Amino acid sequence: MVMEKLGDSLQGALKKLIGAGRIDERTVNEVVKDIQRALLQADVNVKLVMGMSQRIKERAMKEEPPAGMNPREHVIRIVYQELMEIIGKGAEIQLKPQTIMMVGLQGSGKTTSAAKLARYFQRKGLKAGVVAADTFRPGAYHQLKTLAEKLNVGFYGEEGNPDAVEITNHGLKALEKYDIKIVDTAGRHALEADLIEEMEQIHAVAKPDHKFMVLDAGIGQQASQQAHAFNDSVGITGVIITKLDGTAKGGGALSAVSETKAPIAFIGVGETPEDFEKFEADRFISRLLGMGDLKSLMEKA
Amino acid sequence: VFNREVYLDNKDLEEPLWELEMGLLESDLALSVSEAIVESVKNQLTGTTKRIGSNTGEIVEVALKKAILDVVSANTFDFDEYVKNREKPVHIVFVGINGTGKTTSISKITNRLLKSGYSVVLAAGDTFRAGAIDQLGIHASRLGVKMIKHQAGADPAAVIYDAVQYAKAHKIDFVLSDTAGRMHTNMNLMAQMEKICRVSSPDLIIFVDEAVAGNDAVERAAQFNEAVPIDGSILTKIDADAKGGSAISIAYITGKPILFFGVGQGYEDLKKFDPEWFVDQLFNQ
Ligand SMILES: Nc1nc2c(ncn2[C@@H]2O[C@H](COP(=O)(O)OP(=O)(O)OP(=O)(O)O)[C@@H](O)[C@H]2O)c(=O)[nH]1
Ligand SMILES: Nc1nc2c(ncn2[C@@H]2O[C@H](COP(=O)(O)OP(=O)(O)OP(=O)(O)O)[C@@H](O)[C@H]2O)c(=O)[nH]1
Ligand SMILES: [Mg+2]
Ligand SMILES: [Mg+2]
Repeated sequence: MVMEKLGDSLQGALKKLIGAGRIDERTVNEVVKDIQRALLQADVNVKLVMGMSQRIKERAMKEEPPAGMNPREHVIRIVYQELMEIIGKGAEIQLKPQTIMMVGLQGSGKTTSAAKLARYFQRKGLKAGVVAADTFRPGAYHQLKTLAEKLNVGFYGEEGNPDAVEITNHGLKALEKYDIKIVDTAGRHALEADLIEEMEQIHAVAKPDHKFMVLDAGIGQQASQQAHAFNDSVGITGVIITKLDGTAKGGGALSAVSETKAPIAFIGVGETPEDFEKFEADRFISRLLGMGDLKSLMEKA
Repeated sequence: VFNREVYLDNKDLEEPLWELEMGLLESDLALSVSEAIVESVKNQLTGTTKRIGSNTGEIVEVALKKAILDVVSANTFDFDEYVKNREKPVHIVFVGINGTGKTTSISKITNRLLKSGYSVVLAAGDTFRAGAIDQLGIHASRLGVKMIKHQAGADPAAVIYDAVQYAKAHKIDFVLSDTAGRMHTNMNLMAQMEKICRVSSPDLIIFVDEAVAGNDAVERAAQFNEAVPIDGSILTKIDADAKGGSAISIAYITGKPILFFGVGQGYEDLKKFDPEWFVDQLFNQ
């Protein structure tokens, strides 16, 4: 039952436009359909895709292509702009003392990203420490402690204490002298009412400057709904997309951004603390659409 | 009788199929798989007749449901029957990408086997991720089973070998081997996994992925299946309101059965995969 592997469908579709001298409706419809496919395949929310493709269609027909731009480039430019509209420029990360709370679904990469973040600030010359407030998952304490020791960043945890709120309270006091305090929390999803309430309590105690929602690049249509629930509970201020070293395109994260209006701050591209990068919208959009160098095309306009 | 029937053509089918397909995509069935299935239903129905007045939408839905049921019930096998009849010790290795729920699923399967009166030993074959040995160790002590471990960073194949030897020497019925999460794009780690499976020649290799995964489920299932190959899959985190369309993607691309759904973080939160139930809940939205 092996299936034919789908290549860069969008790229193929847009090639159809190369020869076309002027834009006619049939060609635009055809191309927009292929853009839909590319975005759906990248796990962008279905409703978001439908809304966006409608706008792309209208704009492609209505707007005059900038001088020197062929029809193909014209449509790509509109797609790019529409995606940019959602994604924005990415989060500004300020290098000043702050408290950060990590939240997200089970296994998304919170603990690993907490360590990566600590490493990031440490390299910028700030003193960073982490608080092990996941009292739920077996081994969570050891995981964060091991990572913190390896990186030589601050650590606070209480093995065996099941009260995450209390640990957070103690931890933030213990790390008072640190510039950056990062609180790791247990994984949870929107339907786990007890855990959602626990998160709200941790939030109330920690009063974090930042609430980063950690999202697996591979998440599908659940992304919007989950992000919505997390945002309602604690207010998301930034998104971290993990596991972009695989083949997942990260369209779920795009949908979460569209839902919460929180910018993407960092991306995870591997398991070691160094596999962490500042988010770059251009590269992300290129990946989402399965095509290279969109930036230079945009500069041409 | 003749004029009471009409032929279905492509155009009649397109609209209802499109609607159903959008529903499936919203349930996380991968686009490529959904297109393949929809195409086959279209081909199957085009040129057939229906009674005047009957609902094309319903005809299409019935056919699509049947097509999906065929995919998810291909090669079904009964885990409990299999392990009952298999010569002991039965060795099962769990593989998958990072964070999908391998270690937790091992603890759930352990619980299930213990309840059926079997004995179990665990192998701490994830020697890579920080805290992985501790995590499995906590499950082992909560469940009251032995875990064989080496140091962090040790060769996972050696740990697993030791666990199998231990089971043979102590007449333990099952060896469940944990492995580190790995990206299918990481050649070194995929080669390591092949080695683990070659050297320990397990009875079953189970691929663990999560129900909240989208289109990428197809790619990674294909790559893992090609590398080892797998005998079946477990889909976790279905309790996160996930419809689990990715189960269809994985079953379709691997041709291997879905064995269980993970429906929570507790030991009892493991549900035997039931194709009929699954397809029903998929269409009842
Ligand atoms: N390949 C890859 N693996 C990652 C990345 N980020 C995290 N991981 C891995 O993903 C798995 C889960 O990461 P964790 O940090 O434990 O996730 P978590 O969100 O803290 O999980 P819970 O606390 O159980 O909810 C681990 O195997 C990590 O090593 C990444 O960017 N790339
Ligand atoms: N809600 C829910 N959470 C689950 C389920 N299965 C696993 N989890 C959670 O998902 C997270 C990751 O599970 P693990 O078992 O550590 O995943 P893993 O595949 O072993 O991860 P790595 O070893 O880091 O690759 C943990 O927080 C688990 O409690 C499930 O069926 N439902
Ligand atoms: Mg964690
Ligand atoms: Mg594990």
